[in-house]
Formats: sequence, structure tokens, C-alpha cells
Amino acid sequence: MLENIDSIGLDFDTELQGVKDLKQLEEIRIKYLSRNGIVAGLFEQLKNASKEEKPRLGKELNALRNSVQEKFDNLKSSIEENSSEESSKIDLTLPGRNRIIGSKHILVQTLEEMKSIFKGLGFSVFEGPELESDYNNFTALNFPLDHPARDMQDTFFITEDFLLRTHTSPVQVRVMQKVKPPIRAIMPGKVYRNEAVSSRSLCVFHQIEGLYVDKDVTFAELKGTLISFARQFYGKDLSYRFRPSFFPFTEPSAEMDITCYLCKGKGCRICKHTGWLEILGCGMVDPNVLENAGVDPEEFTGYAFGMGIERTALLKNGITDIRLFVENDYRFLKQF
Amino acid sequence: MKISLNWLKDYIDLTGISDEEVISNLTMSGLEVEDYEDQAKLYDKFIIAYVKEKDKHPNADKLSLCKLTDGKVDYQVVCGAPNVAAGQRVVFAKEGAIVPNGGFQIKKAKLRGIESFGMICSESELNLSDDHSGIIVLDDSYEIGKSFAEAFGLNDVVLEIGITPNRPDALSHIGVARDLAAIFNRELKIPKVELKESAQDVNTEAAIEIIDAVDCPRYTAKVVKGVKIKESPEWMKRRLKAIGLRPINNVVDITNYVMYEAGQPLHAFDLDKVGGKKIIVRKAGADNKFVTLDSKERVIEAESLMICDGNKPVAVAGVMGGENSEISAQTENILIESAYFNPSSIRKTSKRLGLSTDASYRYERGCDPNNTLYVAERAAQLMAELGEGTILKGSIDVYPEKINEKTVRLRESRTFRILGYKIEREKIKNIILNLGMKIIAEEEDVFKILIPTYRPDIEREIDVIEEIARIHGYENIPAVERIANSLDAKIDESEFIEKARNTATSLGFYEILNNSLISEKAAELMGKSIQVLNYQSADMSNLRTSLLQGMLQTISKNIKVGEKNLRLFETGNVFIKKADIIKSFDDFSESTKLILAITGSDAEKEWHSKERAIDFYDLKGLVDSFLGNLFQNSALRDSYNEESDSIYSYYYTKESGKETVGSGGKIKKELLKQFDINQDVYCFEFDVDKLKSLLNIKSKFKELLRFPKIERDFAFIFDKNISNSEIKDYILSCKSKLLKNVRLFDLFESETFGSAKRSLAYSLEFYDENKTLTDEEVDKEFTELTLSVKKKFNAELRGI
Ligand SMILES: [Zn+2]
Repeated sequence: MLENIDSIGLDFDTELQGVKDLKQLEEIRIKYLSRNGIVAGLFEQLKNASKEEKPRLGKELNALRNSVQEKFDNLKSSIEENSSEESSKIDLTLPGRNRIIGSKHILVQTLEEMKSIFKGLGFSVFEGPELESDYNNFTALNFPLDHPARDMQDTFFITEDFLLRTHTSPVQVRVMQKVKPPIRAIMPGKVYRNEAVSSRSLCVFHQIEGLYVDKDVTFAELKGTLISFARQFYGKDLSYRFRPSFFPFTEPSAEMDITCYLCKGKGCRICKHTGWLEILGCGMVDPNVLENAGVDPEEFTGYAFGMGIERTALLKNGITDIRLFVENDYRFLKQF
Repeated sequence: MKISLNWLKDYIDLTGISDEEVISNLTMSGLEVEDYEDQAKLYDKFIIAYVKEKDKHPNADKLSLCKLTDGKVDYQVVCGAPNVAAGQRVVFAKEGAIVPNGGFQIKKAKLRGIESFGMICSESELNLSDDHSGIIVLDDSYEIGKSFAEAFGLNDVVLEIGITPNRPDALSHIGVARDLAAIFNRELKIPKVELKESAQDVNTEAAIEIIDAVDCPRYTAKVVKGVKIKESPEWMKRRLKAIGLRPINNVVDITNYVMYEAGQPLHAFDLDKVGGKKIIVRKAGADNKFVTLDSKERVIEAESLMICDGNKPVAVAGVMGGENSEISAQTENILIESAYFNPSSIRKTSKRLGLSTDASYRYERGCDPNNTLYVAERAAQLMAELGEGTILKGSIDVYPEKINEKTVRLRESRTFRILGYKIEREKIKNIILNLGMKIIAEEEDVFKILIPTYRPDIEREIDVIEEIARIHGYENIPAVERIANSLDAKIDESEFIEKARNTATSLGFYEILNNSLISEKAAELMGKSIQVLNYQSADMSNLRTSLLQGMLQTISKNIKVGEKNLRLFETGNVFIKKADIIKSFDDFSESTKLILAITGSDAEKEWHSKERAIDFYDLKGLVDSFLGNLFQNSALRDSYNEESDSIYSYYYTKESGKETVGSGGKIKKELLKQFDINQDVYCFEFDVDKLKSLLNIKSKFKELLRFPKIERDFAFIFDKNISNSEIKDYILSCKSKLLKNVRLFDLFESETFGSAKRSLAYSLEFYDENKTLTDEEVDKEFTELTLSVKKKFNAELRGI
């Protein structure tokens, strides 16, 4: 019989193929694998084998036993799985047990996306207070006293000397006082303007400010950096342009426009029929600002830029009313 | 500011340059064209036509049937106007024309059975006047077939230009033309003034005295006598209307016209109403009431600069004239004022009066002190031409100290260093000269430049560099991309809050952003608040003292729209007043907070679980998960308070050393009622700055346990007034070497225990870092612990 080890294996395979349920399987187990089964019988016979043949036969017999046991186990677990009570009745269409994951405000998401692009361009991130001194918000930024430039930003005053910052630019002053050049930093935050609230404007909104001061910073590089940002943020197919503007704290000053999203430059109501949308203000840091912050403008030059987050988030997400950002309606929040 | 292209062409020849090019070049050199209106488009399809025949309409008495021609094509038109007749030249709206008055489109129509292919227009329909009594009948000078816009001079393109505050020089047609001259390298044509003056010297009719020469460095006057006040000619009215001004009479119109031509405000006084025929420029002093041209009595502060006659003020200098010396239909003799005032003085007066006019707008930005005489003469010339007046000989020009042109040194090398791009030397020179600056000396690298006084914004080298860059065109400066290296150690002050936001959202919280300005009442709930001086409305008057008020408002609004199960968070700054008057940054605090809030049910009703109302333990668990994610080893202590305060029914705080890093609990019903909320709300507010300081406590890596843990459970019936933490702390304090952790896993109340008792079951975790424990070792300690607990709390052991 020991000579038939191979054929016993084949017999087992054949019989196993006919097994449909656990009952039949148990019969096979008894036949082959039980204490009085065929495999055990073979081991019994091994005792009588010749000395020369014992090692070879023993090895073959072990292999047979392992293979039979493995095949048996596999079939058993597969039959059990298919015939279990659960699987026969399970309704796979029932909804799963959800875990709620919240989300960041869409403005914060927009801001973080901008932040990560600038961090990739080597910018640090600084923050500054919202309740600022008139000096940091205006005077240090080269807004002369009693000058119409101050009318550009309607201001909420706390006292004559303190106010709610009208832009994130005072953080430029703070950073330059804190860190020696070279400085390459962005400064996001909340700003305040005493303007009527409408579908297009809020009196509390967010900006992100940028500043780079070093020995050889140029207008050409300002353009290069902002174009690189715009391509990453808005997509690389857009057109852009820089046109002269005025900010007291930069000179030369510029505004950057990109092709209008909605009309692709053909002109529509949103872009006032120009085909362009203004996305940011920028320029070379005015020598007076550097000097006020204790940086020698002959040794260092710099650029600065600033942009609003709300408008950007409106455009990117096709939101029509800016007030939705502060209404905090759960149905709105859950969309982002 | 509005600029008429037709008008602009008086000062620069724009032949060969399209309107679109003009517009885009202005925008791209700093005079942003925000909008523009092409009048010709407004009158598209309106033409001059000839009425060849007129018959009666067969089916209607009041209508006539006309045949019109534009010289090439004939049109059949049904007309209702009583004055239509054959042989007339009329304004004809063809099919597709949009009627300016009413905005409706002309379509082919059947009127009482007869087809009509257009409309003959009245003045009212074209918005020329209110006259709708009949059609316009033109004389033979109007060419048949010509467009109406062209024939009527209504083919203007009017630009709306946003002039930045640094460019007072561009607040006029000549100013805008000057930029165009520089851009297109063309000649700027300033109108020549040639006066026919009478033999009578101006000084015989008027006198000027400046008392305050600081606020009024120059005052120039001309006198024109015998002026006939009447309507201005059509061309002038058309130009003024195009830029949005209402024509009044020839004299007033001329002052406006010249201001929009040259940028210098003018005022015309009725000389016969100027007492003593003398102008005195002085501070208002005791003259504290004054009636301006708009018939309003205004309170004048003593420091305001006034134009006075021998007895009384006759104008608020640089802002508005007075009713007492106004030009009227009876006026004959006129004194033209052309002055230069100190910009900040005019700004202060205008601000104090809350009155901004075209004049004050220009004066406070800075006019050209050296152009007053030219402008006065220009106005006098027009008054002579259009009002048949006689100009007296000479002018009165009080200018005690001449304001000279400034000189600026410009380095070519610096220009390159700022722009990062080399503009050719010849190009630089050309731009400088075209903008009216003069080069007075030229060295290898340095230009010495004389800056005209109409450019008060140009004072320094950098100002000239900007002029060069903007006229050369920013688009012509290449963009340079450099690979940026990180400059120093990575600094990101927003990193912690970003991580906190990530943690909160992973716990199912949605982020909100609220207004930092809230009502005084709400702000005062949580501390001494800071009020905005010039707040817009009472519900946005004070800075928030906490994020709680905004959170409750948000919850209230959401419940009202049916969103009742909420998990919300916000992070932002709050402001607390520390001194009655804020004089420095020490007198208030601004700190960053983060608030978590939950309300409603834990989850919606689902097939697998019941809806469960959120309670305090949800808050506690979320707070711990939140902190656990941010700090692996924060060693924060809980401190509980069952007593209510003004905000909470009960609350607890998280403590680190002596610092409270956050607090929260169940919001009081009374407070919720104020926000119109009638379901339980739980909030926890962290002080982010204090949380951040915990980052300094660095957690060290602990070796992973290599030996198995053994757990043993017990349950006791305790008195209810013994708290979980008392029991837990006691168990941990027992001297068991092997016990490492205690966890409550069951809480059970039953009538059989009595209402004063409850069962608490704990799981105790034992292990040794250096060896595998035997059951015997653990059992020994567990038995001792069981006995200790039983004894300590007089508790009854339950069989598990
Ligand atoms: Zn568009």
C-alpha cells in the first residue's frame, strides 16, 4: 500500500471534488484523516518498512498528510463561508455605518492652498495682530498724514491712534522689525474696512500679504514669482497682465490681472467687459517703508504683494454672494 | 473721472490710433479705464432720412403712411406724429434700433393692417429732451443717409478712468492727453490764449489780499465786465453732459469746462456782490456760519480757510462758493478766482464739513501752483467769447513766495537694480521729456531732472523710476523666475492652528468663520469689550471677547433652517479691554481662541443604531480626542465645577500647571434663550496661545512592551456620591507595582441597590516591562486591590 501514496493523493482529490456540504466533508475526514483513517494507516505501515526505504517513504508520507490536511482545511473554510447564516441573509444594499468627517471653511481651504504654494517657493509664514496702531497700519507704510491716500481704505477706529487693520501690510513692518533681511515671508490674516456689506463686499475679510527683501530683489523677479504662483493656483493656461497702480507702500506699484474665468476673456458682467479680473496688488517696497523699519534701502530692495481671499474663493467656486462666507449655514459648510 | 475722447482730441492728435488702443494703453500705463460708453453704439441704426411721400393711413385717421429714403433704400413707415410732412429731413430708427428712452427695439410691425419698417423719432425718444409733441424736423444742412450720432456730434466715446490719489495731474483732459503723448510719443497741444483786453486796468476794479499765505500760497484773479449770462453753446453743453455735468449758464459752465480741461479749479464771483470789491484770504475765525451755493447753512471752524470780501466770507476756500456772491441771471461783472491752496488745509476743511466737491477733490490732491494765471486767462478768454464780456487789462496775481520745481537725481544703475531690466538710455530720456520733466544735467550714470510742479507725487528717484517703468510698459519688463532657496530655519506661525483645524475636522467638526464685530451686549457677556469709534450699526459695534457669542448665533440660525445636529468649530482672535482708555498695546489683549461646539443628536436615526442626544460626555470625549491628537503627552489636568455660572450650568477646565488652557461645559438655558435656542448646547473654548506653549513639552519615544499584559476586572456597588475619579485615583495610588492602568467599563444603576448606590466596573491592566507575569503574581496584587477598595469606600463587591 505504501507504494500507492501518489494514487491515494489522487483518490482524495477526486473525492474532495464531489463534496457539496460539511456533512460529506466530515465523511471524507473520517475516511482519510481520522485516527483510523487511511493516512494514519499508512503511518502504521511505515513502521514495517525496510531501513533503506524508511526515510524516503516517511518524507513522502508527511508530504501527503500535509497536502491532504491543507486541501481539506481550505475546502472546509470555503464551504463554511458560503453556507454561513450571515451570508445567506445579508442585504448588501443597506447603508454603511458612516463616520462624519468635518471640513475646514472654504476660505481657510483657499488660504491654505495659497500658503502651501508660497511655502514651496521658499516663503515663511508670519502672523500679526488685527487691532493695530495707526502708525503700523498707515504711517510706517508711507501714508502721509492728511493725505487722500488714507481715503483708499475706510477705517474702523478704536481711538485716534488705534484701529482695526485695514490690510495685512502692517505685518510687513512687524516682520522687518523682528527679522533681519533676507526676508521672504507671507502673512495671512483678517482685515477690516468700514464699508457697507453687500453681495460683493464684507466689512471683515481676509488677505494674504507677501514680502521679499534681499540685496538684489527686482521688479522682474516679482513678476516671475507671482506668475509662478498664479499658474499653480489658477492653472497654467491662463493669461495674465501687470498694470501700473498706486499703493503708498510700494513703488513702482502694480495690479495683476488674469483672464476672466467666466467669459475666458471675451468680456462679461463680472469682469466689467474688460475680459480681465484683478487678483492682486503688488510692487517694489517703497524706500520709505524700508527705512521706517530700519532697513537700508540702498543696500536692500524688496517686493511686496497682497491679495484678498474672499474674491478668489468666490471666483474659484462659482459662489455668487460673498455674505455666504460668514452666514455659516451648515448646508453651505458641508459642500466644501 | 469721465474723459470724452472727442474732447481729448483737442490736445493730442490720435490719428491712426483706434479707441481700443487708446483705452488699453491708458489702462496699461496706470490710468485704468474702468468702463466706457460708446455713444455711437447707443444710436446704432438711427439715421437721417428724407420723407418722400406722405399719405393718409387707409384704416386710421390719426396715422399717416410715409415713404422714406436714406438715399439708397426706400422704407414704408406708419407714423403717428401730427407734424410729419413730405419733404422733411427726419431722424429715422431702422429695424433693430434700440430706442434710448425706454430701451425697446424697433421691429417690423403691422399697424392697422399696414406694414411699417421703422420709426420716425421725437426728441424725447432719443433722450435729447422731454419734447414728445412731434417728430424732429431737421434743416437742409443735415446730410441724408448719415448716421444720427455723427450728424448730432453724439459719436463720442466716454471713458470712466479710475485716477489713483497720487495723480492729481491726470484729473483733466490735458493731464490724460499728456500721458498719451508720452505713450505714443506725440505732441501735447495746449490751447493758446490770446486776450483782447480793454484799456481799463484790473486793479481799478478789484484788489486781493492774502493774510494766510501758508494755506494760500497763490491767488490769481481776472476781471471780465459786461458779461451776458445765457446758455452755453451746444458744443460746450454736449461736452459737459458727456462727462456727467449739468450745464447751468455760460459763466458757471466755463469754470467747469476749464477745470476739466486743465485740472485747475476756478470760481466765478459776481464782482458787484463782493463788498469793497476786495478779496481777503484768511482763516474763518469768528465767522462760524456760512451759507454755501447749495443753500445750506454750514458751521465753519475757526481754522478753515475762507475767501472773504471787505466784510464777510464769500466762499469756503477750495471747497464751495457762497450763495451771497453767486452768479445769477443779473450778473454782469465777474471776478475769476484761480488759486493754489495748501492741500492738507483743504482736506481738513472738506472733511470737517463732510463736503467733497470737484474743486476740493483736486486741491487736496495738489494742483499746479504755477498754472493759475494761464487758467484764469483761459477762462476770461472764453467768457469774452461766449458771454460778450470785456476783459480788464492785466491780472491780480498775489504769489509771495514762488514754489519752485524740485530736482531729482536719477541713476540709470538704480533703475536697472529696481526693475531687473535695462531700458535703453535714449528711451529713458524720451519718457522723462515727454512727461514734461526737464533734464538739466547728465553724467555717466546720473541725470539731474527738474520736476514740473503739476507732478507733486514725484519727489524722489524711485518716483521717476516708476514713471519710466509705467510708460515703458510693465508688460515689456520680462518676468524672471529664480529658484528660491529656503532662507533660514522654517518658520510657519500658522502651523499649529492648521494642525488643530485638521484634528477638529477629523473629529467631524465643520469650521465656521464669524464676524469679529458683534453687539455691545453680546460682547460684554464674556469680558470687558472694546468699542469701535465709528461703528456702522449697533449689532457690529464692539470687538468680540469670546468666540462663544458668534457660535451661539450660528447654532441658532442653523436650527431655524432645520439643521439641528451640529458639530462646529471656529478659531480666531478675541479682544479684551484692560484699561479704560487704550493708549498702548498693553491696554488690551488680543489672543487666539478655538471653540468646539456640539448640539442635537450624536447621529441621525439609523437602521443600526438609535438616535442619541448629545451630552456632556460627548464633549469631554471630543475634547480629549482633540488634545490627544495634538499632544501625545500633554499632562493636562481636568478640574470640574458642578456649580453654574453666568454661562454654564456646569463646566470643567483643562489645566497645565497653574494655567487654564481651556474651559467648557453645558451652556445655561437662560443664555440659550437669549439666542433663541431651545436645545442643549455644549461648548469648549481653548486658548490657542497657551495650547501652543504645551508644544514645548516634548514627548519621548517609549520602548514597545515586549511582554504580555494581563487584565482583571471587578465591580463594586458604591455610594453615588463617590465619584469615578476618586475611585480611579485611589486604585492607582495603591502600592501595586504591576498595576499600570485602570479603566471604567460599566456603570449600572438598579432599584435593588437603592437610589443612593450604583455599580461601577473597572478593568485593571497589569504588566512588567522586563518579564512575563504569572497569573499567581497578578492574582496576589488584584486580591489586595479588591480588599483595599472594598475597605476604603465601604463598597460591596459584585460577582462578575
Ligand atoms: Zn468676464
